[in-house]
Amino acid sequence: MAPSLDLANLPDADVVTLAQQGREAAFRELLRRYERPVFSLIFRMVRDREISEDLAQDTFIKVLNHIDKYRPEFKLSSWLFKIANNVAIDHLRKRQLDTISIDGSPHAASAAEVEATSFDLAARQESALDEMEARELGSAIERAIARLRPEYRSCIMLRHVEGRSYEEIAATLDLPLGTVKTYIHRARHELREALEHVKGPGQRLP
Amino acid sequence: MEHRHLLPDEIDQLLDGEAGFGVAPLQAHVDACPACRAELAEARQVVSALERLPHLAPFPLFADRVMAQVQVFEPWHVTALDSIKRWVPASRSARLVGIGATSVFALLISVAAVWTAVRLDAFLFFFDLAGQRARAALFDAVGSAIANTFGDAAVDALRTGGMPAVVGITGFLALVVLAAVGLRAVLATARRRRT
Repeated sequence: MAPSLDLANLPDADVVTLAQQGREAAFRELLRRYERPVFSLIFRMVRDREISEDLAQDTFIKVLNHIDKYRPEFKLSSWLFKIANNVAIDHLRKRQLDTISIDGSPHAASAAEVEATSFDLAARQESALDEMEARELGSAIERAIARLRPEYRSCIMLRHVEGRSYEEIAATLDLPLGTVKTYIHRARHELREALEHVKGPGQRLP
Repeated sequence: MEHRHLLPDEIDQLLDGEAGFGVAPLQAHVDACPACRAELAEARQVVSALERLPHLAPFPLFADRVMAQVQVFEPWHVTALDSIKRWVPASRSARLVGIGATSVFALLISVAAVWTAVRLDAFLFFFDLAGQRARAALFDAVGSAIANTFGDAAVDALRTGGMPAVVGITGFLALVVLAAVGLRAVLATARRRRT
């Protein structure tokens, strides 16, 4: 019998082609590859786990149900981030939600809900001390990101968390290249100022 | 360059690791200017902190919930092609054996077809004979069943004109049953492939 396809080793374009042929395994592979990046981008935009999951779900449903309209000259990840950014911005416009709760959803009504909606920033740390330091800095930088304007937030996330080039970010967010550069420059500047308060005088970030 | 500190855009250029004609003087200035070096180091710390941010995971059943709302449609030609591919052996030697066996089978079928064409008259005669006997046997069986159920009068009535209709309806029903069984088998295969 012919061996089954090893989807994990295929490039995005090939997996998309298989998804366009109606193979459910290909849809699941695309989900596996991008659920975390998309969810992370949306979460850092809207700052609510439950809402982020709903918006990430909407993003994937939109993309996967229209996979036949995918144009190969555009990167799939750019298409996904574009939709994710749009749903997050739409949500922020509706809710005017710009506060942060790194320790849990602002809609949590009880301690249990706060715990359930919090996320672990230090999952990759090795020791308790590292964990504490990383959590402190992680919390500080997450709070600083949350205080950025939404358009700065998406640009800085795509640049430094997803490692996208300026050109890709401009294409993804439908912004002029110069605007992207300006947003990222201002975001870095604002983050530096915000993190000044976390560091002691003359200290370096861990 | 020596008389002024770096502009924010120039710090960004160094931060993004850009290469090119204009970057070397900037780097030279940073090497010589403690203030700009400190400025760049601080900017790098922020970028480094951003790059260390983890990817967050949605809840474990996220993919299932998404897939429940995604319409997966597999075109018929993909199903058909995959069904054929499943019968193709994986190893080269097994494929060669398969091709050989298929070729021999095709050759035998071709020879049989040619031989049948040459002996067509004899075959038509035997088919006609077999058909007559099958028809007679079928009529006898159906007649017996009708006679047992409705009596001899019903058999006489059918013989005068109704028997061809009965045979036609029986054949049609058999075809419908066969089509339903075939469709069910195809759907079952498609379901198995999706899971």
